[in-house]
Amino acid sequence: MSQVETTRVTKSFGKTKALDDVSLTFDDGGFFALLGPSGSGKTTLLRTIAGFHFPDSGSIRVGERNVEKVPVEKRDIGMMFQNYALFPNLSVADNIGFGLRVRKVGATEEKRRIAEALELVQLRDLGNRMPAQLSGGQRQRVALARAFVTRPKVLLLDEPLSALDKSLRIDMQVELKRIQREVGITTIFVTHDQEEALTLADRIGILRDGRLVQAGPPREVYDRPATAFAAGFLGDANWIPEALLGGLALPAALPFGPTRYATRPEALTISATRPEGNALPARLVSRVFAGAMATLLLDVAGEPWKLIARDRDIPAVAEGQEVWLGWAAGDTLAVAA
Amino acid sequence: MAQVAHASDRRRLFALLSPAYLWLTLAVFLPLSAMLFFSVLSDMPGADGGWGLTLGNYAAFLENPTYSTLLWKSLKLGATVTFFCVIIGYPCALVLAKSIRGRSREALFLLVILPFWSNSLVRIFSWAIVLRGNGVLERALNWVLPFDIRLNLMFTTEAVTIGLVHSYLPYVILTSYLALQAIDDDILDAARSMGASKLTILRRLLLPLSLPGLLAGAVLVFVPVVGSFMEPRILGGRMGTYYGTVIEDQFVAVYNWPLGAALSFILLAVVLVILGAASPALRKART
Amino acid sequence: MTLLALAGRVWLGLVLLFLYAPILMMAAMSFNASPFYQLPFEFSTKWYADMAGNDQIIDAALRSVLIAFVVTAIATAVGTAASIALFRYDFPGKRVLQVLLFPPIAIPWLITGTAMLVFFFSIGIGRGTPAVIIGHVALALPYVIVTVTARLSAFDVTLEEAARSMGAGQWTVLRRVTLPFIAPGIVAGGLFAFAVSFDQFVVSYFLSKPGDTTLPVLIYTAIRKGFTPEINAISTIIITVSMAVMFLAARKSNFGGDR
Repeated sequence: MSQVETTRVTKSFGKTKALDDVSLTFDDGGFFALLGPSGSGKTTLLRTIAGFHFPDSGSIRVGERNVEKVPVEKRDIGMMFQNYALFPNLSVADNIGFGLRVRKVGATEEKRRIAEALELVQLRDLGNRMPAQLSGGQRQRVALARAFVTRPKVLLLDEPLSALDKSLRIDMQVELKRIQREVGITTIFVTHDQEEALTLADRIGILRDGRLVQAGPPREVYDRPATAFAAGFLGDANWIPEALLGGLALPAALPFGPTRYATRPEALTISATRPEGNALPARLVSRVFAGAMATLLLDVAGEPWKLIARDRDIPAVAEGQEVWLGWAAGDTLAVAA
Repeated sequence: MAQVAHASDRRRLFALLSPAYLWLTLAVFLPLSAMLFFSVLSDMPGADGGWGLTLGNYAAFLENPTYSTLLWKSLKLGATVTFFCVIIGYPCALVLAKSIRGRSREALFLLVILPFWSNSLVRIFSWAIVLRGNGVLERALNWVLPFDIRLNLMFTTEAVTIGLVHSYLPYVILTSYLALQAIDDDILDAARSMGASKLTILRRLLLPLSLPGLLAGAVLVFVPVVGSFMEPRILGGRMGTYYGTVIEDQFVAVYNWPLGAALSFILLAVVLVILGAASPALRKART
Repeated sequence: MTLLALAGRVWLGLVLLFLYAPILMMAAMSFNASPFYQLPFEFSTKWYADMAGNDQIIDAALRSVLIAFVVTAIATAVGTAASIALFRYDFPGKRVLQVLLFPPIAIPWLITGTAMLVFFFSIGIGRGTPAVIIGHVALALPYVIVTVTARLSAFDVTLEEAARSMGAGQWTVLRRVTLPFIAPGIVAGGLFAFAVSFDQFVVSYFLSKPGDTTLPVLIYTAIRKGFTPEINAISTIIITVSMAVMFLAARKSNFGGDR
């Protein structure tokens, strides 16, 4: 178990810069989510930390050791692949034991640790099965067990849950978190699903076009996004049109560059008359009912806004009707444009 | 896929299938049966009318050690050629499937298998030009090397082996390549992430996973080599008497068709045993 | 590039050298004036001229091409029909029919060829061009069926259903939807059939009448009598044609390409 650190890592493929000056610290024993749209460089960063390719410049440290020139097989990592990449010719137990065999831990130790790993992922009786005989969720567990059984310094997960259907995915999120806590290995995982990142990680990093946009604990990034991209990517942002900024109580503008202001959909209240504090007039476009919660799609001087609240808390408003949206002054986000 | 339920479907099915299978029956299955019949005839029919049924042709195989010796020689030739095809071809397939990327891979693969589909007789003949005494290879070597050497490879078992390896090598590359290409690159990455060396990956993953393809290739080399006659004739000269050439002689020189048929049938039996033993691997290689 | 990757490329290069060197050597020698492969090389088209003046060679070449075209036409039509039936319908005995395609490929041609000779002789077809054509079609059929079936397996059956829902009859569907889709497979199958026939030696050898042979049989007989540079010339032409045909077939069938 070790802290992992990338310092000014840059990596190009041909003309495209996949990673541009990325410096990040992954805490010892922490659970870190790399988040970003496709093509943002999150998978490249993961594979660079793994050692599948070497950075063009910058350094990577795992524990006390600089590894940027060490190939993957010498890095002592555990990795789980998007499609699990189980060895189809080996049984579940042999899949899990593969890395132990390479490390020559001895037959008895190997057996003991396979059993222990199977226990931890709750597949105790399935050691003799072949991968083709497993369900999607079971394969995912085998892939996970296989990645951590060698007690690597760092566990790398590439979109670990994306191949599962929705209900199974939520179960597995809980499972993954439990297992990560129990084994306590520094874990870095890549996802494009913001909800997954918020649920699982204790720290997240948002990447865009190969650059790190912002990193920090999920709540902090959500509540105080640094840039317009971060605000829009993690959760929804309602942008306050420039013309309407006057008359609102706003936080101080950022020291450098232009500042944009926004609100979160769940921070808004709706009323027929102008409420106290920050408020803007809006026109209701449509109302989307989703059981307990409802989403209102609104138009604020041409800017599309969203309001999310418990359905029973929202008064009946006809589509096209003018309303007022209010929010607490402290809920206004100020981000770099 | 539709179940055949209606009479009209059945008529269409029959109309579509029967030409192909009638043709195969007429040109392959009936001839094989006819040859079985011929192999128990005592003499060429039609000539003087004096022919009967006999097992003498098969007895000849057992009584005359020449035939079994030659069959053994052909089997050994098959094993040697297969061995070289595998040790030369498999690494080649490995490089093509797992080391070379992009468009050049497709082009190189095509280049490797193209000779296989071109005229085998001509390719064997081209080796005759290269290998013959005072031939191109010898001249080239003498031109490069300071000392004189006499190769005299032509009309040796080595020449026959070289020619046959040249003929059938692309087969092993083709089947191995297809099997190796089907292996997901992610599982190799996974193995590396667990610390596996290249050798471990080859031994525990690539080889077992591509074994059906490799075996299929080996069988598809071995079988025709055992029945080869043209290659030994051209490249082997007087050394080139094999089981296949003896069968050829019965049909085109000695005109003892019943004996030829019996010898062919014994070869067929050997071939079927080999194909049968390898059929699990062959079936796996196709899926 | 690692040392291992480099070694692999070198190996591949050596294998390609092994595969092509003799063929290229033969082609070079066919343009060498000396009949005894004397070096230095002296360019000449003498052997090609000799070849063109040799009626026996020209006859055999024309016969080979004619046979290959007839075989291609028959094998492609008959094979495509069978592929469509095997792809479209499920019926008892289908597995057996599929397995029956393999003997012509898997049994050594020596056995198939001699068996054909024995059978055709007994039923009165005897040796000669008709016998050769019958034999070649049988050898080519499995290749056509396998190639066309491979193309068909990528065919989305709902396309046919969609066409029928728009009121197209079964033959219209076949003509306007199914056949256009599998056309590349049929072309590739046809090219395979052409190559199987044009390059076929063993079966032709047993089935053709002496003095009335195909090109490969003529070459074999000539080689056994002794080498002449004319054979180089005609062989060079044959191998160029057959490689070109196979190159086209491979392109059409997307053979070995990344799917």
